[in-house]
Amino acid sequence: MKTKTELMFFTDGIDLESGDRLDAFELMVESYGKLNESKSNAVLVCHAFSGNHFAAGKNDDGETGWWNQIIGPEKAIDTNKFFVICCNNLGGCSGSSGPKSINPKTNKAYGSSFPQVSVSDWVNSQKILMDKLNIPSWEMVLGGSLGGMQALQWSIAYPEKIKKAGIFAAAAKSSTQNIAMNEVARESIRKDKNFHDGNYIEQGVIPKNGIKTARMLGHITYLSEKHMNSRFGRKFQDDDSKVDQDVDFEVENYLRYKGEKFSEVFDANTYILMTKAMDGYDAAGKLNGLENALEGVAAELLIIGFYSDWLYPPERGKEIQIAAMNNNIKSSYVVLDGDHGHDSFLFHNDQYSQIIRKFIQS
Amino acid sequence: MAKKLTKIITAWVPQDSKVIDFGCGDGSLLKELIDSKKILGYGVEINNKKIEECIAKGVPVIKQDIDKGLHEFESSNFDISIMARSIQCLKDPSLALNRMLKLSKRCVVTLPNLGYWKCRINLASGKMPVTPELPSSWHETENIHLCTIKDFESLCKEEDIKIKDKVFLNSKGKQSKVVSISPNLLATEGVYLLEKE
Repeated sequence: MKTKTELMFFTDGIDLESGDRLDAFELMVESYGKLNESKSNAVLVCHAFSGNHFAAGKNDDGETGWWNQIIGPEKAIDTNKFFVICCNNLGGCSGSSGPKSINPKTNKAYGSSFPQVSVSDWVNSQKILMDKLNIPSWEMVLGGSLGGMQALQWSIAYPEKIKKAGIFAAAAKSSTQNIAMNEVARESIRKDKNFHDGNYIEQGVIPKNGIKTARMLGHITYLSEKHMNSRFGRKFQDDDSKVDQDVDFEVENYLRYKGEKFSEVFDANTYILMTKAMDGYDAAGKLNGLENALEGVAAELLIIGFYSDWLYPPERGKEIQIAAMNNNIKSSYVVLDGDHGHDSFLFHNDQYSQIIRKFIQS
Repeated sequence: MAKKLTKIITAWVPQDSKVIDFGCGDGSLLKELIDSKKILGYGVEINNKKIEECIAKGVPVIKQDIDKGLHEFESSNFDISIMARSIQCLKDPSLALNRMLKLSKRCVVTLPNLGYWKCRINLASGKMPVTPELPSSWHETENIHLCTIKDFESLCKEEDIKIKDKVFLNSKGKQSKVVSISPNLLATEGVYLLEKE
């Protein structure tokens, strides 16, 4: 698979929904496959909260991209046919401009002073990327969770630039429960003694414990009860493989391990910024309801939910479907089994892959 | 779906209309209507394999158990709703009929006729009918509310549902003069265009 990873500079900057402005910004962009001559095979993949530009293939460390089961040669999004692009979102911590970047005005890392970005801002920055690449329109924009919100926003903001949208395990806005969970996670980061109001880089420390706890909580919300039961049950952790000696159950060990790994790579300010963007998204916005918001949508929609997802349950997708039908938008709504709870959108299963494949090729 | 049945339904569906097909199966009827009548169509289907086939055809489809939540589509202003060979599978056919006529001005319903003479012979011999139209045995069938043409028309009357048009088909899936003499005895399938005042 032809893969290209590139840090791209945008010197014209971007005006943000908050009223702030970035005079220039960078995006870490990865692409798979080849843009055809008529530039009609471009697909934009949007990542979820903790994802990044590394969506498919294998890196030098042998790790695979977050959607490697879906994107690749002869996979659901076939890179022999499509030119697939994924970028690390603005405010991220995998190479794009974000809290870890240096603020040119102060020559110090932005830290918590990096402007709050929104789902709309991401879509606008991806539009700037699209223009720079001279791509006239996307064959499809798709993603799961927060990525699905971006796909939905694309169809609302740039109806003439997108033919199809895939909105998976997502919603038109975060629920009260979603916001509540995210707030507990953020609070655990803020209360870490190494957080220093978000200026921990200057202090030469990282609020690792806070990020770890936040991730442990997040992880529980991404899995289904059934999946956790069958995977861990009430099994005790072997003494030899305990990450800490006070661990009893396997599930504790797993969460601590996952939290620890995450805290080594993910930036705390990005965590807060991304979850704030997720909480703040409301497709209906000031437009007096979702139905009005979808009025101009021209893309065909594919909405997929998973029964085991209690974070963004299928009914949230159904709301988009009904609003789409009320607007005479060609739109399909599918609910699939998937055992992995909210995370189900990440994994291949025959029906999921077939439905994506058939939709994108129909 | 049989060609004749598709033809009858197609004739009743207005050009450029907004259509919902409950129990749409692989989406072939909607595909035909999209091609010939330029409709905006949505299928409703429970079987994921069939949903996949709809999507492959480019037919918009919604995963839904039609026993539940027909009312969810009431805000969408459909011109016509279709329920082909499915009403006898529902828990509450009368409620479903009324709901369809609430979400669209007109609806098309087709149903197998238990009054068909071969079914009657089966019953006279003391067994539940198994015919080419009703191929499953009593314990395997999804048809939990089978009725005769007479039964169905009485229900329409009770519910103040107006039969705008109807066609009866014989065992070959065709219209014939003979069948129309006594449809309750000779038709295998009734095809109705319904409306509520």
